[in-house]
Amino acid sequence: MEAEKAKLVLDGMKEAGVNFAAGVPDAQFIEVYKMVAEDPAIHYVGAANEGEAAGIAMGAWFGGKKPALIIATSGLLVATYHLARINLLHEVPLLVLIPYRGDLGDPRWMGLYQKTTEPALRAMDIPYRVVSRSADIVGTIRECNETARAWLRSVAVLFTGEALW
Amino acid sequence: MSRFALLTKLSTMIPDDALVVACIGNNSGFWSQLRDKDTDLFHITMGMCTPTALGLALALPRRKVIALDGDGNLLLNLGSLGTVANQNPANLTIIVFDNGNYLGSHKKEPGMPTATSGRMNLEAVARASGIASASAISSVGDFERRALAAFSEKGPHVIVAKVEPLDNDRPPRTKRIPDPRENKYRFVSYIERTEGVEILGSGLGGG
Repeated sequence: MEAEKAKLVLDGMKEAGVNFAAGVPDAQFIEVYKMVAEDPAIHYVGAANEGEAAGIAMGAWFGGKKPALIIATSGLLVATYHLARINLLHEVPLLVLIPYRGDLGDPRWMGLYQKTTEPALRAMDIPYRVVSRSADIVGTIRECNETARAWLRSVAVLFTGEALW
Repeated sequence: MSRFALLTKLSTMIPDDALVVACIGNNSGFWSQLRDKDTDLFHITMGMCTPTALGLALALPRRKVIALDGDGNLLLNLGSLGTVANQNPANLTIIVFDNGNYLGSHKKEPGMPTATSGRMNLEAVARASGIASASAISSVGDFERRALAAFSEKGPHVIVAKVEPLDNDRPPRTKRIPDPRENKYRFVSYIERTEGVEILGSGLGGG
């Protein structure tokens, strides 16, 4: 991932007013995690498990922060139970940022995420946008965050390889 | 030593403006009968109680935050103890009511054993995770001393209370526990009022 693309994700988060983030790093988004962790305007918490990260982000929202959850497509599966509770029972708005893998051209083992990611989000009633152009990264993050806050629902942004690489 | 006896003691000594995060089951059920206030979050599910309390403690570093966790609940995301240690929030106290079993809370006999009913020692795990102030208590008096110290000294603190496997002294339910959405609006309104922050916003996306 190019540093300038990672910077667009960070720019989008900052434009959206995100000041707290939790996640579990993955290879596809590692530059984003590093930039977020180093940014003084965002308190980043590295968790051991994506469900734990979701809980941390929810707690931060209850304390007045504007949180983002940064997880991989595999991490979305790990966090599903917690995210389902957060979105369907507590109705707490988390901005969920996910590098979207599993497309044609990706390693075979990543293909399963094409089958699981969007159905999992739909099952949890988490609206999402798929970003396929770098030029759309900042604006989509901002708009999805605004919707999450307004609807009191978690909203996800999926970034494809075309947008990130 | 019963969970309810400890919660009853806690309800008499907890600072008025301390924020409480209670895990699902009897921690939420009993606490809501003892102290149902705007400062309290209930129904936090398996594996999410300590993480939610951690996020809250980091967001509001001047407020005392107390997690009422359980052994089975904490075990689901045990790594959260390492995260707590590394984030090192001075205002966070995690109380683990360790009854050593799953699903015994509404039954006349214990459910299935958790790891802590075997060889696992949560106090030692917390300490080895990097939380220096980790203790196990064995009486209501011990609990009172440790909790008072936790409320006045810098944390994070972990207090592991080995409680009876069954809640035979459960209180009668005299009040309805607020549902998660009602609880959310009440809690968030309180935080907005007392902390001067905007959380819900206008409903149009500004918040």
